[in-house]
Amino acid sequence: MTSIALRNLWARKLRTVLTALAIVLGVMMIAGTYVFTDTIDQAFDEIFTESNKGIDAVVTSKQAVKTDDAQDPPISASLLPEVRSTEGVAAAAGGIFDPQVAIIDKDGDPIGGNGAPSFGSSAQPRRFETLDYEGRAPRTANEVAIDKTAADKAGFELGDRVTVAGKESARPYRLVGFASIGDVDSFGGASIAVFTLPQAQLITGKQGEFDQIAVAADDDTTPGQLAANLTQVLPKNVEAETGEENTQSQKDDVGEFIGFLKTALLVFAGVALFVASFLIFNTFSITVAQRTREFAMLRTLGANRRQIVRSVALEALLIGFAASVIGLLLGIAFASAISSLFKATGIDLPSAGNVIGVRTVILSLAVGTVLTVVAALVPALRATRVEPVEGLREGIVVEAPGTKRLRTAIAVALTGLGLIAMLGGVFGVIGGSGAAWVGIGAGAMFLGVALLSPRLVRPLASLVGLPLERTRGVAGRLARENSVRNPGRTAATAAALMIGLALVSFVAIFAAGIRGSIDDAIDKTLGGDLILGSTDGFSDIPLTPVKAVEGVDGVAVASPYRYTQYASPDGDGYLSLVAPATAADVLKLDWRQGSDQTLTDLGPTEAVLDEKFADKRKLEVGDAFTVTTVSGRKINYTATGTFKDNTDFIGDYAASDVNARAYGEGQTTTSIFIKLDEGADTDAVRSGIDEQLKPFPTIKVQNQQELKDSISSQLNTLLGVIYALLALAVIVSLFGIVNTLALSIYERTRELGLLRAVGMSRRQTRQIVRYEAVITALIGAVLGLVLGVVFAITISRPLADEGFTLTIPVGSLLLLMVLAAAAGVVAAIGPARRASRLDVLEALSYE
Amino acid sequence: MPNEAIVSATNVTRVFGEGDASVKALDDVSLEFPEGRFTAIMGPSGSGKSTLMHLLAGLDRPTVGGVEIDGVALNDLDDGKLTEVRRDKVGFIFQFFNLLPVLTAEENIVLPLSLAGRKPHRKRFDELVEAVGLSDRVSHRPAELSGGQQQRVAVARALLSEPAVVFADEPTGNLDSKSSEEILALLRTAVDDYGQSVVMVTHDANAAATADRVVVLVDGRIVRDEPATSPEQVLDLMKQPA
Ligand SMILES: Nc1ncnc2c1ncn2[C@@H]1O[C@H](COP(=O)(O)OP(=O)(O)OP(=O)(O)O)[C@@H](O)[C@H]1O
Ligand SMILES: [Mg+2]
Repeated sequence: MTSIALRNLWARKLRTVLTALAIVLGVMMIAGTYVFTDTIDQAFDEIFTESNKGIDAVVTSKQAVKTDDAQDPPISASLLPEVRSTEGVAAAAGGIFDPQVAIIDKDGDPIGGNGAPSFGSSAQPRRFETLDYEGRAPRTANEVAIDKTAADKAGFELGDRVTVAGKESARPYRLVGFASIGDVDSFGGASIAVFTLPQAQLITGKQGEFDQIAVAADDDTTPGQLAANLTQVLPKNVEAETGEENTQSQKDDVGEFIGFLKTALLVFAGVALFVASFLIFNTFSITVAQRTREFAMLRTLGANRRQIVRSVALEALLIGFAASVIGLLLGIAFASAISSLFKATGIDLPSAGNVIGVRTVILSLAVGTVLTVVAALVPALRATRVEPVEGLREGIVVEAPGTKRLRTAIAVALTGLGLIAMLGGVFGVIGGSGAAWVGIGAGAMFLGVALLSPRLVRPLASLVGLPLERTRGVAGRLARENSVRNPGRTAATAAALMIGLALVSFVAIFAAGIRGSIDDAIDKTLGGDLILGSTDGFSDIPLTPVKAVEGVDGVAVASPYRYTQYASPDGDGYLSLVAPATAADVLKLDWRQGSDQTLTDLGPTEAVLDEKFADKRKLEVGDAFTVTTVSGRKINYTATGTFKDNTDFIGDYAASDVNARAYGEGQTTTSIFIKLDEGADTDAVRSGIDEQLKPFPTIKVQNQQELKDSISSQLNTLLGVIYALLALAVIVSLFGIVNTLALSIYERTRELGLLRAVGMSRRQTRQIVRYEAVITALIGAVLGLVLGVVFAITISRPLADEGFTLTIPVGSLLLLMVLAAAAGVVAAIGPARRASRLDVLEALSYE
Repeated sequence: MPNEAIVSATNVTRVFGEGDASVKALDDVSLEFPEGRFTAIMGPSGSGKSTLMHLLAGLDRPTVGGVEIDGVALNDLDDGKLTEVRRDKVGFIFQFFNLLPVLTAEENIVLPLSLAGRKPHRKRFDELVEAVGLSDRVSHRPAELSGGQQQRVAVARALLSEPAVVFADEPTGNLDSKSSEEILALLRTAVDDYGQSVVMVTHDANAAATADRVVVLVDGRIVRDEPATSPEQVLDLMKQPA
């Protein structure tokens, strides 16, 4: 039986290759994900381990709020003498490590950007220095060292003048060294600029402060002891960790991010494999059906059932394993492709050579092989039901009506349960991770609809096939008939495509909703004419230019606006810090209690609340509530007004920015909103502002439309990545179409011969195949789009009262339909050629 | 000019395979089929009957020699043109598997016309369906028809477009004697009443006797070519090759 399995594989090379390809792609993605994330992991590992080399303990501030950027507030420089005099301390040095210092390239634009931090740091005394320098470390106030990648990007050589922008006006420095850490060949997109300590403090606006103090123990003290000693003498808002602990906690911080990335990529890989399993299932179902006679013949010759299952399972095992090996190898190359994909969208991640873990190898091979065998098992078992006498009949598999009804019941139940799981996950009513429940729900719905789809094939084929039949005559008619001939087969093929398209359309609908709600938020809440923000779209900008901008002719108001975070025992959240005197000019609030005057009158410990927050905390105007800021300070606010935050722009409350320092935003701001004088010439004012912003290359000026556009383009970048990753699942499902067509054509060889004999041209033959592919693809598209809409509606439900308005982007969805049809045409190219090249006589005499 | 040749083969040789393994299925055969006549081709199994028919119908190309249908020399045609000749000038009836299972009887009958993008002549269609006795069966699919009925559908298809010639390869080979007679009668009527030209390969002397003329092939050569009179005479022709 083994040799029969082998010979079958060989005899049907095309089918084998196509089935294998589907698995190859899925496994490739899994292996690629692991290699990619392991590689990043290792690079960060090395960076953090290296950066704490020679450091026994690290003193930093305690983070009172777990912020999105995980940035600790600075500590006072006055702690250094205290640290030095602590028992067991041999040496200590304060340092700066700030993620918002931009190196400016020769065109005046910040290098890198797009998310990767650009660090400003201080050169350390020799015993704490963890960077290696080509050239040397900065020694005077006007010297700088930068990393090699950044230097290469901008074409800087040693000795060049390099402009660096921090919290103050940008200034030029002389480049004296290229900094590097360990063997890491890239910090990712991150760049680093190293200054002397005083200069680093100055440029980051941290005069009299450090980001951390590095401590070395004397010979008699262990790092643990040292940290304990330090903790004892230092104030409460400061913590001391051993170097190792610090390395670990830094690793944990990025680990969370890498973990998220890994999960996301694995989800995409899972989708591709899920789709691939449809293809495998379908291929084996078809070939088993086609081989009914062969099995019957083998049975007559005395083969028992187990031998036949084993033969099919062995075939699956061989395909699965071989494909997994290839997938694994390609995955290693694919890791670099993922990296380039992220790089192309500006998300550069560090790397230090590909890391191929044993876990990656085992998992990839196991997943691919097991999945193939499992997907082939149902058809294999079906093969055992072949009775020897069936060899005498035509091999048509007739399903008993009983199983059909059962199948429909299961399908409906699965779809329903899937929807419930999804809703449960979305509203958090089921325990566990909401996202996981949504995923499980989606999977169940896919399976349910896939099981149901054989019933839908006929009506859908009529729907999408009738126009073809009308316009393309008999070729269209035959294509439609062929597509409904074996509804199960067409359904499985279409279902594979459905999955990819459902996800694509869901993402498209969701993105349109997000875009709409952002536009809405800007329209409804933003009263300013111009917005100053970071060139990268999300970093903070220095506060310094406010005064200068206010002085520009035609500027009525320049109001800094900060969006930041707080903590409280009742839950953490976001808030806005506004400049009370000018806020009412640039923000439009939908007041419930109070008025713009309330905002203007906002005292240091007064706040106006989003009514949702007020309801949740049961706060009335006049009530007080306490929050903890990033620096650990507790502020007791009194509510003076409430508003309806239709678009969730403000956060839970708005308060005066006199406390900005407590929130860790003393010298920075998220944006600066500008209101122009009545009738001012916008262009003239803009060029005036641009003039004032020359020393601040990290700030850009936008009007409302430009702001919307730039947010939209960031969203598009993200969408691009998601679509690129989903494309893989779609490609796998196209292989499915190719495979099904090829197998069906093989089955219909005689019919094709007859058609050709009675006058069908090659062109018409190709048309029939092509239209069948188009019909199958469109069935998949229709099912996919419907599911995509259902997903979008379900998942956006909880966001509805946060200003998320679901809009169905009809144009995009229609475009998707057209693309699906076009994909069908592409998938049909090979099979159509094969069909049209059939020798008429050979086909006619084909048994 | 009723006796003008509608199909002709000139010095046709067909060799299958190459070298030692090659088989000469037809050996220098020349034949003319006059318009409006019913010709039967007979001969032992493997004598080249089907091969000859395939060549005459433009389904295969001769190794040497030429075929002409209705004044068109097939040798010069590419696949597209050859397909058009088959579609427009030739009707086919095979021994089995004549019909597309996904199409109804009616759709099968009009298939060559549909492929040409033409509409059938309604009156002719009705007449033909009536003649083959399928008036109440036209909307059925082949699977719902008996073997004889399927074969009658094939006959109707072959005749509908009034092709220059109808080729039938053992059209009654799979049928019982009653169904066979019906099919033969249909072909005979087409020749007599409509002036249709028919070429039929058969093993059955009774069937051959329905024709006007019998051509006997042995080992790829024509050994007899005579008018058909009766089944007995046809059997004689077969028994004693000249
Ligand atoms: N495609 C082919 N390749 C090789 N040899 C062939 C091919 N087709 C026919 N032959 C050979 O050519 C010869 C004539 O075959 P053909 O099918 O014309 O015979 P036939 O008279 O129709 O026989 P039957 O009455 O059995 O149908 C036979 O020897 C056959 O083996
Ligand atoms: Mg024959």
